[in-house]
Amino acid sequence: MSEKIVINHLRKVYKTDEQETVALEDFSLEIQKGELISIVGPSGCGKTTLLRLIAGLMEPSSGEVSIGGKKCTGPGPDRGMVFQEFALFPWRSVRKNVEFGLEIAGVPAEQRRKTAERYIRAVGLEGFEDHRVHELSGGMKQRVGIARALVTKPDVLLMDEPFGALDAQTRNIMQGELLRIVEKTDTTILFVTHSVDEAVYLSDRIVVLTKRPASIKDIVDIGVPRPRDRASPEFIRLRKQILTELEDENVRPAVHAEALNGGK
Amino acid sequence: MDWQSIIIILCAVCVITGVIILDAMNSPSKYFAYDKDNRRHRMLRKGIIAFVSLVVFVLIWWNLSLLLDNPAIPTPQTTWEALVFLFQNGDSISGMSMWGHMSISLERFFAGLLIALAIAVPFGLLLGYSDTLKEFSSPTLEALRPIAPIAWAPIFLFTVGYTWGPILVVFVGIFFPVLTNTMFGVKKIDPNWVDAAKTLGATKVQTFVKVMLPAAVPYIMNGLRIGMGVGWMCIVASELYASFGGGVGYFISIQAQMGYWPNVYAGIVIIAILGILTTSLADYLHKVITRRMGIE
Repeated sequence: MSEKIVINHLRKVYKTDEQETVALEDFSLEIQKGELISIVGPSGCGKTTLLRLIAGLMEPSSGEVSIGGKKCTGPGPDRGMVFQEFALFPWRSVRKNVEFGLEIAGVPAEQRRKTAERYIRAVGLEGFEDHRVHELSGGMKQRVGIARALVTKPDVLLMDEPFGALDAQTRNIMQGELLRIVEKTDTTILFVTHSVDEAVYLSDRIVVLTKRPASIKDIVDIGVPRPRDRASPEFIRLRKQILTELEDENVRPAVHAEALNGGK
Repeated sequence: MDWQSIIIILCAVCVITGVIILDAMNSPSKYFAYDKDNRRHRMLRKGIIAFVSLVVFVLIWWNLSLLLDNPAIPTPQTTWEALVFLFQNGDSISGMSMWGHMSISLERFFAGLLIALAIAVPFGLLLGYSDTLKEFSSPTLEALRPIAPIAWAPIFLFTVGYTWGPILVVFVGIFFPVLTNTMFGVKKIDPNWVDAAKTLGATKVQTFVKVMLPAAVPYIMNGLRIGMGVGWMCIVASELYASFGGGVGYFISIQAQMGYWPNVYAGIVIIAILGILTTSLADYLHKVITRRMGIE
């Protein structure tokens, strides 16, 4: 069972009355099972669009995503998603949040509970099963978000800047946790981030995008074994390489029209 | 000294002692240190304020009634006597005790409330969900909404009678606030919740039941809270129209026609008390349910 994920010539055009904006241009990528791939790119380049297209939350203008040779249409539990703002259901307890996907799939209550407990343990939240979402810290919330997405055993976990809303320390802890969880569950991950450091720390491969319309500028193999040392010369070299590539893309106009209008 | 002076003095004494007690509570003293983090202290303080407020109100009423010396403004004392008599013996016209009138009004109120909830909640959810349905229904709803619910009373009383008439008026009164708030609740849903449900495999129906409905509950409760206040006004007002069938509103109307003013006031007191009880019930439900839902 080779659950290879193939993204084929994905393209997205936003149409408004006045104009057409190309958000994503000809994106093709093959993701092997168990791989962790990060996507970095200039801000606003269409990283989130790409992830939403793969998740099926948006219709591509052309191109397709297929898993194990089967074309994906619409959203489904084969592609789990983790959101930057967690998107947990506040009216449900931790346990009930994690159980959501199983409930949808019609898994009987007892089995649901067992499976959910296994994943809650996997993300290190044992003892918090019956807590409400608002009682948890940001890092704990995202642990629930990851457990909730993993519980349906997706072929790929799509993570949209999952640690973007966390403080620097929690962020580092969560990165280590994610690697631990990946190792345990053998999950394939597509990870969008604006932090090059995070991308180099986590990924097997990094996809660098061009600015809008986004297309693949480069794919960098990170051959460094884990756990990675952020201070090692190899790590710093890779970081610098990717940062330089991004800077080349970030040729900004001298003054933003928005800045003149006072922010937004 | 006459009664009026005594009452005015009483009133002043009451306010002054109240202020002194509260001041003593707010400033640290060795007799009684008010601790605002202590729940019992807070409740005691609230209780004292409420009590003083009510006493002052009753004293002002008392004074006014003596001052104006009008049969349509009886003293609190005669009102109290009328109230006690009504609970014990009932009134001669309807032949029912106050308990009877109260239960009739409450039954109608809750019947109207249940019907309004049963229709307004699903309808509001659908309106929030489907723009087409909203575009279709809005013109009619917007035309009907500004009509005071009580304006329907004569029609409803004539067409469906003295029991169902007031129920329908209450229904109209509660329907709109609940409908609007429910619809608003669906519109305000975090789109990430819907996306999360979709990526976990939820169908449209599952998303509707498992995400949109619970997410809208705090808004529904808010609509219910507003609606219960409106509904309670509706029940009394619509019963005033009725010339048959019991209920507190009906009781007030017949007593006023006969000029039994203390009885009219007794009815008004009952309405006030039941009104406070229904709104506190709504507040309580709102608090408990939003807390249970983890949304505050």
